[in-house]
Amino acid sequence: MKIKKSKHALLSVSALALMGTMLTPAASWATDGETLIQEKCLLCHTNTGNPEAPYSRISQQRKTPEGWHMTLNRMQRMNGLVISSDEVQAVIKYLSDTQGLAPSETAPFRYVLEQKPNVVEEVDPAYVEMCARCHSNARFGLQRRTLGEWQLHVNTHMAINPTTELHALARDRDWYDIAYNDVVPKLAVDYAFNDPAWNQWQAKVKPSLNGSWSVAGFMPGKGDYSAVLQTKETSKDNFSVSMKGHYADGTPLQGEGSAKVFAGYEWRASLTIDGIKMRQVMAAAEDGSSLSGRMYQSAHDEIGGELTAVHGSAVVALSPSAIKQGQQKEITIIGADLKGSVSLGNGVQVVKVLSRDADRVVVLAKATGSASVGMRNVSVGKAKAKAQLAVYDEVAAVQVLPNESIARIGGNGGNIAKMQSTYRALAFSAGKDGQPGTADDLRLGYMQALWSLQAFDEAAEHEKDLKYAGSIDGNGVFTPGDAGLNPERKFSTNNVGNLKVIAQVLDGDKAVEGDAHLLVTVPVFVKRAIQ
Amino acid sequence: MNISNIFKTATLLCAAGAVTLMSGCAANQAVSVNGMAADGHEYLLTVTRPNQLHVIDTETKQVVRSCDVPGTFGTGAVQPSPDGRIAYVLTNGAEDVYGFDITNCDITFSAKQSQNGVKVKTFISLAISNDGKELYTVQNPTRKLNDRYEVLAPRLAVFNTADGLDAKSVRNFPVDRRITKIMTMKNGEVILGGADIKAINPVNGEVRMLSALQNWARGADWIPPDAFAMFTQGEHVGEYIMPYFTIKWNGDPGDMEQAEFWWGMSRIDIATGEVDERETVPFEFIVFNWITDPNDSNILYGAFNQLSKHDLSQNKTVDVIDLDHTFYSINMDRSRTIYIGGTSSDISIHNPDTLEKIGSIQLTGDMSTSDLRIARLL
Ligand code: HEC
Ligand code: HEC
Repeated sequence: MKIKKSKHALLSVSALALMGTMLTPAASWATDGETLIQEKCLLCHTNTGNPEAPYSRISQQRKTPEGWHMTLNRMQRMNGLVISSDEVQAVIKYLSDTQGLAPSETAPFRYVLEQKPNVVEEVDPAYVEMCARCHSNARFGLQRRTLGEWQLHVNTHMAINPTTELHALARDRDWYDIAYNDVVPKLAVDYAFNDPAWNQWQAKVKPSLNGSWSVAGFMPGKGDYSAVLQTKETSKDNFSVSMKGHYADGTPLQGEGSAKVFAGYEWRASLTIDGIKMRQVMAAAEDGSSLSGRMYQSAHDEIGGELTAVHGSAVVALSPSAIKQGQQKEITIIGADLKGSVSLGNGVQVVKVLSRDADRVVVLAKATGSASVGMRNVSVGKAKAKAQLAVYDEVAAVQVLPNESIARIGGNGGNIAKMQSTYRALAFSAGKDGQPGTADDLRLGYMQALWSLQAFDEAAEHEKDLKYAGSIDGNGVFTPGDAGLNPERKFSTNNVGNLKVIAQVLDGDKAVEGDAHLLVTVPVFVKRAIQ
Repeated sequence: MNISNIFKTATLLCAAGAVTLMSGCAANQAVSVNGMAADGHEYLLTVTRPNQLHVIDTETKQVVRSCDVPGTFGTGAVQPSPDGRIAYVLTNGAEDVYGFDITNCDITFSAKQSQNGVKVKTFISLAISNDGKELYTVQNPTRKLNDRYEVLAPRLAVFNTADGLDAKSVRNFPVDRRITKIMTMKNGEVILGGADIKAINPVNGEVRMLSALQNWARGADWIPPDAFAMFTQGEHVGEYIMPYFTIKWNGDPGDMEQAEFWWGMSRIDIATGEVDERETVPFEFIVFNWITDPNDSNILYGAFNQLSKHDLSQNKTVDVIDLDHTFYSINMDRSRTIYIGGTSSDISIHNPDTLEKIGSIQLTGDMSTSDLRIARLL
């Protein structure tokens, strides 16, 4: 069928143990990397004699640590490379540093490195059906190759996945010919091996990521948190890290672990926080002033949320980040070493400072009834906020994020666990024009909501998807049904379903609703570092 | 039934069978081969995981024999020989072909298609010459070098079935990419079902167009059809049938409001080579495979989640029942009994007039993508 769609839902899942192995300390890869390539890879690859591109196939591609990991994994799995896991780490580190991507090159596709679920990619029509129907655009958007290397990789696809040209959206065209002769030349331009961005980044002195950071983040089921992240470089690009802070409700948060940095800015950390193994995938800002990305549970990467770390003392975030005219409520100001008086801006009074910790200040705030609608700058002593506080009249619209989502049935004795999906309610007030959904809407930030589910459409209603596909809890965490055929259902279908996730935000005595689409589907059996 | 009646029937069948069999029939009226009823008696052939070929008697609905197929499961493609005696099975990741004598599981033929660093995949494409002497496959080769792959051009490979074990192809001719279902016509040409349906002469490699599908010349109002088949059937009426799906826009391409969604087919009479290409019924549900009613070529049966019956003269679905689960393949014996298989481990048996389920055959493993073929043992 040739119906053009430019949006492509990314069915994201785990990176398996990739991050874990990436963090095992390997002593001296910097010197070893090149030697290892000569010892291990030149059994099959050749020395070209060209100093610009010394190793066949290897020297004319650039990619992320995860990208290199995927390739090396295939070398072991399908091509017979014999190498220890420490040596793999050394080669990944060496190639990511010397043939990596610049921060600007990874920026559009960080979600896939962060294992962020339910991302809808905007895909160029030239790639939608040809490439992005099997995996994300990010998988190839995070690679840079010469024309010849893109060509050879199309051949690899044909050889290791011979039915590529027979799938729906391939068999209705001359797939191989189009891939080789039309798509590849475009790839060689869009994702070119030679790009000044990389040369410039390589030439740059990389900032130190050592020190103390103010962290603000969100964890599904727990809510916003604040923390101080301490990092200590133990050997080049290797760090020991600790994190200490609070969830918004005051519950403490604490953890320790280690981190490794690739290409001067790719932060990969593994920590145990309150007994749960967590991973951080962040990018350092080019000037080293902040780190931002996502932290998630190692065993369930769909359970995670964004986090930002700012070097030194700063206000990083507010929780919640909006206050209604005439309302009095608790607001947590997230940041490190916040000293001095708190200012929440015009018309918003600090009634009382409720508590102060290293990672946050909790205040009781009151907005006057006549406080004007709009954003306020927040400061604590000399620390100015990156975050602002919104003063609003009423909640006019609620967006449920992610708006398109997938959960996967699992468990039930099988060896694939259920894949949950998690939601947040983002509130807006209408702005000057009184109309929600227009450009002047005021973003109020995430709000508490009452969560419920509905059948998405008539077909879902008819198949009783609501009854079988799963349930949602008070924190917006959806848990899908059990895997396996269900004899109660028509055709003994498994517990898949097509649902609507509904958030109800209470604003005074009014309730404002938003919804999102949730497809509950079957497990994915192959998990890759880069989906 | 009285004795003389049985005797009469047997003689009659024998006479009919003898034309092709060319063996002394009168001497032995109880026609059987290695204890299996023959003389055109029909057997259903299919493959299950891990990798067994099953021979099922259509009269008793019992599995009479299961043969272990060497190698890992391929696609389960099966091609019976014209005398119904040998079942050629595609196996080992769709690379090797083995021929089994269905009366005793003896392996009479084998071909390992991947040779000398060239890996060959066959996407279900198996066919046999009318005299049973040549086996045809479509080979899709790639070559692995030290640090790269080469993609080589697909070809029709011809094997002599008499070469027995470890046979090598005796002729090769270039063919299009993406070929799946193939079948030999009475004139000896082999139908190649890919993007378009073509016929190749396996003696000299000459190719001619039978039914342009991807390259049909219907103009912008139709999308080129999505024609696809991973299952072979049609032997019960002597036809090759390729289902397709297409859209007629009735206005601006992409305007789903105006569009009509159609199932269609390209159906080829293997005796005459005549092509019947047309839309069949509006797309209402998924049908994976179609077969024609031997009594009325306007009647098609289709299977997937439903068993359905369609009347082409009215472009209408005339009856449909829900199946117990998803099935992929469908076939029919001489008495018009419908068999639905593939996917799981049970073959569902149906009455063609009422579509009602009248029986089931439980196998030892999942049929997955396997064919369900009819062999008429002579
Ligand atoms: C035993 C043979 C063998 C060894 C050893 C080997 N490779 Fe490969 N390599 C191949 C083959 C075959 C291909 C082409 C098929 C493929 O991409 O999997 C390939 C392709 C590649 C490619 C191109 C992949 C792509 O995505 O286009 C890279 C990069 C690569 N190898 C890196 C390495 C590195 C680095 C090492 C050493 C740590 C290594 N290989 C060791 C056989 C080998
Ligand atoms: C039929 C599904 C399919 C299609 C279509 C497809 N890919 Fe892939 N691709 C895969 C699979 C499977 C892998 C993983 C290979 C492996 O085992 O390492 C992969 C891997 C990749 C990788 C990472 C390989 C590495 O080692 O660095 C890139 C880059 C890539 N594909 C690009 C493309 C491009 C560009 C296209 C379109 C021309 C495309 N793919 C089309 C299935 C597909």
